[in-house]
Amino acid sequence: MDFRKTEEQELLLESLRTVFERGNFEDYFKECDETHQFPDKAVEALVEAGFSTLGIPEEFGGTPVDILTQVMVAEEAHAQGYPSLCWINYSTEVDDILTFGNAEQREKVLAHALEGRKPFTLGFTEPQAGSDSAAMSTTATKRDGKVYINGHKTFNTSADRAPFMLCVCRSGVNENPYKDFSMYLFPMDAPGVTIEKLDKIGNHMCGTYEVYLDDVECEETDLVGEECKGFYQLMKNFEVERLTLCAANVGMARCAYDEAARYAAQRMQFGKTIGSFQLVQEKIVDMRIKIENMQNMLYKAAWKKDHGESIMVDSSLVKRYTSRAAFEVIDEALQIMGGIGYTNDCRIARLWRDQRVYRIMAGTDEIMVHTAGRALVKEAR
Amino acid sequence: MNTVACYKVVADAQDIVANDDRTLRFDKASYVLGEYDLNAIEEAVRVASDTQGRAVLLSAGDARLSDSKLRKAALSRGATEQFCVVDEGMARADALQTAAVLAAALQRIGFDLAFFGEGSADAYGQQTGALVGALLDVTVVNAVSAVRVDGGAVVVERSLEGEVEVLELAAPAVISVTSDANLPRIPQLKDILAAGKKPSTTWTVDELGAACAPCVEVASMLAPQSVARKQVIYEGDVDEAVRSLAADIKAAK
Repeated sequence: MDFRKTEEQELLLESLRTVFERGNFEDYFKECDETHQFPDKAVEALVEAGFSTLGIPEEFGGTPVDILTQVMVAEEAHAQGYPSLCWINYSTEVDDILTFGNAEQREKVLAHALEGRKPFTLGFTEPQAGSDSAAMSTTATKRDGKVYINGHKTFNTSADRAPFMLCVCRSGVNENPYKDFSMYLFPMDAPGVTIEKLDKIGNHMCGTYEVYLDDVECEETDLVGEECKGFYQLMKNFEVERLTLCAANVGMARCAYDEAARYAAQRMQFGKTIGSFQLVQEKIVDMRIKIENMQNMLYKAAWKKDHGESIMVDSSLVKRYTSRAAFEVIDEALQIMGGIGYTNDCRIARLWRDQRVYRIMAGTDEIMVHTAGRALVKEAR
Repeated sequence: MNTVACYKVVADAQDIVANDDRTLRFDKASYVLGEYDLNAIEEAVRVASDTQGRAVLLSAGDARLSDSKLRKAALSRGATEQFCVVDEGMARADALQTAAVLAAALQRIGFDLAFFGEGSADAYGQQTGALVGALLDVTVVNAVSAVRVDGGAVVVERSLEGEVEVLELAAPAVISVTSDANLPRIPQLKDILAAGKKPSTTWTVDELGAACAPCVEVASMLAPQSVARKQVIYEGDVDEAVRSLAADIKAAK
């Protein structure tokens, strides 16, 4: 087994670290967090260095690369303090549209994605349809050659900035909801779309919104892919999307660990560094074990996906494990920092607020048990 | 114009450990491209590209130079080809010995402009560029902060104390650029992938017939003596504080 990164991966990560060294973004991120601003400056620097093109096919202006490398890049950016939910690579979104979209939809989505701008907010969750996605009730109704969308989506990240919504709607054709969902891509400034910001405890650099859809008029050509196949189309990339989220988990945990370990090595109490006390060492050791475990599990899942193996179970395991372990690492890092860790002056406080939602979004810890658990028991039968 | 950027592979300064007796330990050091040389590479690539020429790289060093990651790191910065002079003796070579090897290699490669950084990132002697120019008997300019090619003429700016000197030179010439001459590019994945496919030629010092005797003998190489902080805080009247500070500095000399 070869655990070494390739020279190309190492050089790419060095380039990424150079972007962060030159940008010196730490104070900037703190300011953006405080003022609830999107970190445009950091996005621009990463786009200029080509990171938004990774994983997008060459013929569309991208640089193809395996999933493992993409995971390493996302992890490293977050380990350097890059804010969560603001990552600039939208290759999975692009792949969704390249696979299922028409020429016009492809062009629109590509242009934004290559610029590191979120091309669309995914209209999936609804107030009554959280983990129970079958309960989605937004409708797409055909009338006089047009399609009218009505419903209420929620927890839409970047609905204020994304130019489009990829909206999952009931078509009213099949009883079985999974065989009735269709996806439509429409502009967020279309008449009938209104948004309302949610007041979250963290991730202040990325706004999250309720989206009300009131008779939003679409063309039939705004349908993405096939009618009634929306849910299955979405499934194509959800495993890889999950791995990218996990990469942010690992990165944020590393970021907190590095800062806390450095602090433990310097902070003097009772005439010695707090790192010389075994209670603090135990924390550092357990944090490090979790980081190693998270990386190994994540890289292996990415490697399997790259080699055409199924990661149906792995993606749930790694999502559940990294979300929880990252939170534990960040929480212990905060503990090592003491009172300072609880102030917003300390980056770990932001990580603590930001990372917590990873245990909820894109499939809760509990849903990961539901998805992996059944498969594992079946496998043992 | 065809350009050559010379660079050196050096120990990463962050990894060099100073022992208690001030001697230096390199055993934990990773090796990187000299920081100042990145400016030379960037300038050589830009000038070649502006003038429809070709930029290549040249380095002399020990076996580390053949490390494929370091080769890719160098070639991912826009040059089309790389030449290396690999010889175990190069690790201990002084500036003249290095210059003799580079000059011989430059003659073999052929060039309009050869670029150097302002100094090597390890010894920072700021000698090699000037010595290469002298050995080749071509124009040499150092401390160059801007280069542009105007027809056949090369116009360079040198930022001196209080003035900017503008000089026009004719190729061939050797130019050492300052670290503010440009902002070295950040290699993208496509550059890194392409770098692995670019040609690289390796020579030995003997093949170039460039061996020469050292002209400098290194007696010792020690870290600066560390001095404890004085921890004096100057307070109160500013003029008085400045006078005390100045007096303390004079006394410390």
